[in-house]
Amino acid sequence: MSRTEATQTLRTRLDIPRWSWGVVVAVLVVVWRWAEVSELAASGPGRTIALQALLTGLLIGGVYGLVAMGLSLIFGVLEIINFAHGAFLTLAMYVTWLIATTTGIDPYLTLLITPVIMFVVGAAVQRVVISPAMGQPLENQLLLTFALAILIENALLLVFAANPRSVRIPWASAAIGPLDFPLRLGGAIIELPRILAFLGGLVIAGGLFAFLNRTRTGTAIRAVGLNPTGAALVGVPVGRIQVMTFGIGTAVAAAAGVLVLPFLTLEPTTGAQFNILSFVIVVLGGLGNVGGALVGGLLIGLTQELGGLLFPGQSKLLPVFIIFIATLFLKPEGLFGGGAE
Amino acid sequence: MRRTRFLAVGAALLLVASCGGDGTDGESETATDAASETGATTESGSAAATESGSATATETGGDATAAGCTELNIGSVHPLTGGLALDGTQMDDAAKMAAEDLSVDGLSITISSADSQGEPEIGQTEAQRLIQDGANALVGTYQSAVTTNLATLAQREQVPLVIDVAVDDAITSPDNDFVFRIQPNATAMGTFGAQYLAALGEASGEPVETVVYMHDETSFGTSVLAAFKAEASNVGIEILEEIAYNPFEVQDVTTEMQRVAAQEPDVLVVTGYYNDGVLVAETANSVQPNVRAIVGVAQGAYDLPQFPTDAPDASTGIFDSNYHFDATKERVQDIRSRFEEANGDAMRTAAVLAYQAVEVIATAAGQAASCDGADLAAAIQDVEVAEPLLTFPGPITFDDSGENENAQPVLMQVQEGEVVQVYPEEFAEAELTFPAVPWQE
Repeated sequence: MSRTEATQTLRTRLDIPRWSWGVVVAVLVVVWRWAEVSELAASGPGRTIALQALLTGLLIGGVYGLVAMGLSLIFGVLEIINFAHGAFLTLAMYVTWLIATTTGIDPYLTLLITPVIMFVVGAAVQRVVISPAMGQPLENQLLLTFALAILIENALLLVFAANPRSVRIPWASAAIGPLDFPLRLGGAIIELPRILAFLGGLVIAGGLFAFLNRTRTGTAIRAVGLNPTGAALVGVPVGRIQVMTFGIGTAVAAAAGVLVLPFLTLEPTTGAQFNILSFVIVVLGGLGNVGGALVGGLLIGLTQELGGLLFPGQSKLLPVFIIFIATLFLKPEGLFGGGAE
Repeated sequence: MRRTRFLAVGAALLLVASCGGDGTDGESETATDAASETGATTESGSAAATESGSATATETGGDATAAGCTELNIGSVHPLTGGLALDGTQMDDAAKMAAEDLSVDGLSITISSADSQGEPEIGQTEAQRLIQDGANALVGTYQSAVTTNLATLAQREQVPLVIDVAVDDAITSPDNDFVFRIQPNATAMGTFGAQYLAALGEASGEPVETVVYMHDETSFGTSVLAAFKAEASNVGIEILEEIAYNPFEVQDVTTEMQRVAAQEPDVLVVTGYYNDGVLVAETANSVQPNVRAIVGVAQGAYDLPQFPTDAPDASTGIFDSNYHFDATKERVQDIRSRFEEANGDAMRTAAVLAYQAVEVIATAAGQAASCDGADLAAAIQDVEVAEPLLTFPGPITFDDSGENENAQPVLMQVQEGEVVQVYPEEFAEAELTFPAVPWQE
């Protein structure tokens, strides 16, 4: 029916879908940076570099996606813009560092410990700090989480000082079965911890989806996200679900923290860089859209690496922020639309 | 929609806030790592210094009736809280230790400490307070931004400021007679870096002709690169490619390292801070570009004892041209061991520089007409501190801009899990190994 209706309606303006502007911009960029593109395509080393950028972007994007998913989940359900997300990630990294250095266990094993601890921390924060601010103007909540981030960062500074610390896994460069790490793929290098971070990110994302879609609690969380009043009317304990959601969002960030620790150096401000990117990704993927966050993460990872090749000498984040601003103008609801909203 | 806008504004705020924070950190690390002086600057500087030197000498002569300087109060301004507190407190402790060591009959030295909190405005206010409370001179501050403010204050209040750590070229100037710097500045770092690199090639019999330069995109990295570039053409080194990165956001430099590999330079040169430096070394170890060595120029990681510990497999053989306490001098060893005994931590180069700054003022005070700021500044301008604690080729003397005429970095290399001085020969603790890359068996 809708098809016939469409043909009968007088169309006074050309209806170009807004995403097509993205394609136009992409083509323009390629034409503009043709010198760089052709250089990369023409020579063997150039192709290696391009392949490396693609792989690196994808791998780092998976981690970005995971961090952003936690943020998006919290926003979708609680409608809280959590500026402390990156700080929680840093906190989780310190917890992991502490456990790994004091007990000597493999840092990846703390995937079973750190997210649990951070779930409790996140839930407690929601219960004690955030929940009284629920329903207040957005800017109040915004300032609250911002203050929380500053508090966590400075507490870490106080306790651990600004000394950079790191945890490295001894088996990162070794032969595992037929594979010799770091892996060489057509000249491109893939380090084992980065592969593990990417795969770990996908597995945790899958688990989160399954939890949200297949379990009673997950359904309750989605219900609260869609309509808290309605959910309360049918007997969902909204307050408890909110506490749990904040805990889960924080635990997801914690898992990401554990996964990136083996290849990053840890400082009290380490999480801040993820914070900024997460916001870009959440806007890109659609506010509260958890799946969109994962795809957005991959997109941003790729944009960052490929953009770095096309615009050498600039910050890798420049193209990322261009996309951020373009998204706000052209498709403010995000590429995949809002989730729970 | 409203939420999206909030989110956007929030993200922008966050970005601004974090950039601000990064800036401070950057400066500090810059300071940790940076510096030396170009031959050209030093020469023209010293010519001018002779003039101003004679001028101040005459003035000082006029006041010579005063009883000299007997009670010296030095204001020590460092970041004692916040992210830089570790280095800041070490520097403050070192200044106090120097005051105790160098107080003699006829000259008592006291230190008044103040906390800059890493903020230029707070540092300035605190310094002002110290001056009002009777400080005759200032030492500080570990950060270029804070030091810039203090330099202006020093001139206005006519109180000399001896900079222990701060790298920015622009802090000193011939127009400001109250500011003196002991460490090499950014320009000197780049210049000496290129010279040392050329010397490495000569030592091996096969000259270093091509490099790829990876650097942080802040003013630190770009200013060191600019000085390196200027000197590189003089010593026959060509820069094949410059690769900049954001040191505070960088999480992966594999793609950048592939660009290095594609160029096949003789040497990979790196300037930057700690975290990114470790990342670059580890990535190089994975990608294994066909280079003869990795050489840091004022690199903030490669000269620290922590680096071989943090990157045991990826650090062996890596060089760094940076300022450093002179590990070969007995007096330095004595100061450092006493410091470690009293404080528990190993004394860092920044703290040695704070000690040195107090020594410069104390030495000048012995020759000053009075403890008055102007008299002290005039005396510092003419002072000669023999046996510097750092790897300088001669005594500490200041040119017309207030730069140390003998400021010079030293080339260090990671050997068997330790950072050792390898060049110039007079400061060498061990023979240098070149070519050398971590992935060599």
